[in-house]
Amino acid sequence: MTDPSPATPRLRGRLRQTRDRLATLAISAGGIGVVMTVLAIGVFLAIEVLPLFVPSQVTTETHAAPAESIRERAVWMHLDDRRRMTLLGQNGRLWQVPPDGDPVMTGSAEWMARLQGQRIVTVAESVEAGLLVLGLAGGDALLVPRLPGQPPAWPEARRYTLFADASADELALGKSGDRWWLAGRDPTGRVAVLRGETGGASQRLLLPDRATHLAFGNDGRLVLAEGRRLMVWSLKDGPPRRLGERRVLETPRRITALSYLAGGETLLVGDSGGGLRRWLNARGDAAPLVAAQPYATPGQAAITRLLPLPDERLALALDGAGSMALYQAVAGLRWTGAAPPDSPRALTFGPPGHTLWWLGARGLQALTVDAEHAEVSWATLWTPTLYEGHEVPRQRWQASAPGIEDEARFGLAPLAWGTLKAAAWALLFAVPIALGAAIYSAVYMSARLRTRIKPTIELMEALPGVVIGFVAGLVLAPFVERHLAGALAVIVLLPFCLWLAGVLWARLPRDLRRYLPFHWAGLWLIPWLALWVWLALASSPFIESLFFAGDLGLWLQRHYGLDYAQRNTLIVGLAMGFAVIPTIYALAEDALAGVPKSLDAGAQALGATRWQALWRVVLPAASPGLFSAVMIGAGRAVGETMIVLMATGNTALMAWSPFEGLRSTAATIAIELPEAAAGTTHYRLLFLSALLLFVFTFCVNTLAELVRQRLRRNYRRLGAS
Amino acid sequence: MGSMRRDEGGWPWLTAGSVALSLLMVLALLALLATRGLAHFWPAEVERVTLIDGDQLAGQRVRTLAPPGGEASAPEVLYRTGNRDLDGQAWRWVSAAEIASRSTPQELLMLQRQRWGEFFGRLVALREAGDTLGIRDEALWQELQTRLARVDDLRQRRDRVQSEEIEPLLRRLANESSVGPDTREALIARLGEARRRLEGIRAALERDTLIVESVDGRRLEQPLGEVLAAWRPNALSPVAKLEHWGHRVWAFLSEGPRAANAGGGVWPAIFGTVLMVLLMSLLVTPFGVLAAVYLNEVARQGPLTRLVRIAVRNLAGVPSIVYGVFGLGVFVYGIGGSLDQWFFSERLPSPTFGTGGLLWASLTLALLTLPVVIVATEEGLARIPDHQREAALALGATRYEMLRRVVLPMATPAMLTGVILAVARAAGEVAPLMLVGVAKLATQVPVDGEFPFVHLESKFMHLGYHLYNIGFQSSDMERALPLVYATALLLVVVIVVLNLTAIFLRHHLRVRHRALVP
Repeated sequence: MTDPSPATPRLRGRLRQTRDRLATLAISAGGIGVVMTVLAIGVFLAIEVLPLFVPSQVTTETHAAPAESIRERAVWMHLDDRRRMTLLGQNGRLWQVPPDGDPVMTGSAEWMARLQGQRIVTVAESVEAGLLVLGLAGGDALLVPRLPGQPPAWPEARRYTLFADASADELALGKSGDRWWLAGRDPTGRVAVLRGETGGASQRLLLPDRATHLAFGNDGRLVLAEGRRLMVWSLKDGPPRRLGERRVLETPRRITALSYLAGGETLLVGDSGGGLRRWLNARGDAAPLVAAQPYATPGQAAITRLLPLPDERLALALDGAGSMALYQAVAGLRWTGAAPPDSPRALTFGPPGHTLWWLGARGLQALTVDAEHAEVSWATLWTPTLYEGHEVPRQRWQASAPGIEDEARFGLAPLAWGTLKAAAWALLFAVPIALGAAIYSAVYMSARLRTRIKPTIELMEALPGVVIGFVAGLVLAPFVERHLAGALAVIVLLPFCLWLAGVLWARLPRDLRRYLPFHWAGLWLIPWLALWVWLALASSPFIESLFFAGDLGLWLQRHYGLDYAQRNTLIVGLAMGFAVIPTIYALAEDALAGVPKSLDAGAQALGATRWQALWRVVLPAASPGLFSAVMIGAGRAVGETMIVLMATGNTALMAWSPFEGLRSTAATIAIELPEAAAGTTHYRLLFLSALLLFVFTFCVNTLAELVRQRLRRNYRRLGAS
Repeated sequence: MGSMRRDEGGWPWLTAGSVALSLLMVLALLALLATRGLAHFWPAEVERVTLIDGDQLAGQRVRTLAPPGGEASAPEVLYRTGNRDLDGQAWRWVSAAEIASRSTPQELLMLQRQRWGEFFGRLVALREAGDTLGIRDEALWQELQTRLARVDDLRQRRDRVQSEEIEPLLRRLANESSVGPDTREALIARLGEARRRLEGIRAALERDTLIVESVDGRRLEQPLGEVLAAWRPNALSPVAKLEHWGHRVWAFLSEGPRAANAGGGVWPAIFGTVLMVLLMSLLVTPFGVLAAVYLNEVARQGPLTRLVRIAVRNLAGVPSIVYGVFGLGVFVYGIGGSLDQWFFSERLPSPTFGTGGLLWASLTLALLTLPVVIVATEEGLARIPDHQREAALALGATRYEMLRRVVLPMATPAMLTGVILAVARAAGEVAPLMLVGVAKLATQVPVDGEFPFVHLESKFMHLGYHLYNIGFQSSDMERALPLVYATALLLVVVIVVLNLTAIFLRHHLRVRHRALVP
């Protein structure tokens, strides 16, 4: 020790001991910390994913309400961002109610005059249409314009006549562009429609059907319910068109509630037996509505009312037994509980967010719907689901922009399919080549060549995916598209040309053979292969014109109905195969080289050829190692991002054809996650995909590693004996 | 092993073919990148093509495509014709059957311009402040080159004034609190002076214009200030061509991108990649070594340690995109979001650290490469014979001293190998970066003269992502493709060099340790 400190040896010894202990502590803390951090990845992903599977909930809370004398005549209410309530009475009186103060009567004389002393009997409101409609006792309707986020412009109300002789029992509003529609139903079931343009003229139409319920979808589509039948009308242009009618229930059930969900594409139909079913607007003219599976419902009592939430495909359903249930369009029943015990006189949504304010005899209740990820359930993720705009259930992944028109389609199955399909094709190419190369290097190759080849193949492993992906997507894909027959011919011809090489080599004179020894064949076969690749490609036009009428792509389409996409599974398979060859090769070569020499030598001493010894003795001994090599290759292929992203069209299809594109999980994450807002369903689902990738690769790799360790122990035992 | 017995059949040939095929594919890939990547900078001949209908065009032949399916029609030739301001397009497909004649006249000129891309045509005259100079031919050409040098100098001065005087002044003025009223006046005066100088340079830049003519006789008045370079490819000698090629390769490496990444160089991407990788290695080396030393030297070797070791090893096989997702969730939104709330709340809602950036990218890649470093270092530690450790302990060293003086120095090459492999892997990773902070275009590199000099929160460019971006999101594919090749070649060269270093080090290490084992 050259420590120049003057301290006594004892002190120095203690110092050294302390330093040693401290260092050990620091190393342990650091080491454990690092290992923990790394292992925490899976845990963190799981934490981010968990909220997806938290059950939805509706919580009820009682708030201070104005006196019953004001409440009892309320027909409409609204709460602004500061929770100031506006109440509209049957007689047209307006009340302003601060959250903790006394109601103040407002409303101008001009407004009151519009009512002409008639009572308000029904109310309908559409936030999208920017309209509030009040049905008056005499059969007239008042349309009050309303800009989003502002109170209705009462004095600007306009009065229209719906029925001359009866008041409307039910009103429904529809909107498309700057068109609006108002439908009303009188106690005898007659239906009258007003059609108008924002700030323009209006027109009154009478429909010949009788109805007990009304609902407006998008695009001027009006659905009438009567008994067990639904009648669909289009009021878009010209005279009303009857699109068709459909019997939707079996006796003895009757339709008791009808409502479109936000977006106007999904119609909910509740019946007297407590059933609830979803019907979708059909695109074609054959049948106006497409049936989905009925939802599971909690009870047998008739559905009395459906309350769709704005901006979400969610609805609350009330039934005759006093219970309430929350439904999501594709995921179905999400929650059940008790409804507030009184019947609502006025209802309004928000603020905040998904809160339903319920004003009844017992006061004011706030029903908060907590259903952030209600559209996701294990079933919607993995099984075919009927989405809006489709006729049959399908597997779809199509995350939409945040807007109400498009329904997000969150099926993970197409992504999983794409991932596994790409990996399978990659392995199809990689496994024969990699295992062949490993066998040759472990058994036949000269030692000198091997020391050169192994680093080369390691280099191949280091080639970045983005470079391979670029070559595959921008060079190989257009090339193969033009020379499809040639490219397929290469795959068929290569084994043949190698067999031919063997035959020719055996016939070479001995002297020549010495210059081309077999244990160097890995090298001198390269020009030979290149020659055959060139031959196959050059013959491509002739093959195509001889057998496939000049164009193989067209021929495939005509005879087998296969579409040829330029960036397809075949290209991904080739490119990703190229990327996983080195991984599989390195591990397989290790496993083969580790087989105790005594086994091989013993077999050959008993008269086996080298190939026989290899096939019957060495390969079986090394097979767990080869298996684990393939597993690790599969793990890499499943997680590879850039190659798949660049070499496929990223179309989320579930097709078997190798000439179609695909969309893999990893590529989807790379494309969509930067655009997904944190905390949304889309964001969490992408995290779920990442978690699945993590778990899959981690399990596959662990299995492979355990197999490898066990194999190594076996080799040691065999080698020792 | 020399010969092969005849009865083994075709199978061994298939295995030999597999090796040959793998090598062939690697060679083909590298050859493709090398030829296409480097050929882009070669001043190819400019052809004047006269079509049968009398139409003329000038351009560089890009490629010839045989008609699909072996039909009897003539092949199509793609010419890069430039002159986007005259023709509205820079590429032209010509059927070989329509070509009447082709020639390569010496006087054909190629201009590289800031706007509108390349120009092909003839030089007609030079104008100075509206007056045409009375020189022709060779003298005119010489004069053009001198004036281009002047313009280049002016442009550099303009950029310097802009970036070194005006922008810092503006930033100081924007930072209200630190400037007193007096200094403020002085600053504004300096700013005005700098702006006047800038105006002067701009006016000088606009003095000269160039009259050029396309081969079909349309004239164009081209401001000289927008011309980056002018050359006559057909008149260049091979040596001059080589020189020109060198210049363009250098420009590719040292300049920033132009024209929505479809032109210019990749310097910010090189810089960003190197800086990110450097930061990453600074982060990954100590932690990786610490974890390896703990696992191999300190922790009790039992089933738990074995399990942890397997787990760490397996993390190397976890897809890189998963690390990207983790980085986005934990670093960017988690830690970055909190940092923003604590320290940069005045800038919210526009995020400072709560969005992807250099630091988060480096951290994510450090996590991604941690298993590589741990595994390599552990391998190195395991190779050191136990008797070395025992000898040190027997001589009275504590464990810390034994580790520091004996074990770690011997394991250094292994650590280096690990770090280099980590760097090689990180340099080629793109997928996680797409989530945690890479930018399509960041004109400013994240290092400058302003405190704190390295801007850890800023977005940066990356070679791999640049490659993806220009290759797959460019509007003019034909123009971008050569750049994609060049970028890919550069990336591969960097990674191959790093890997070769690692392989060499590892070899060196094995040789050294062979001597230690009795």
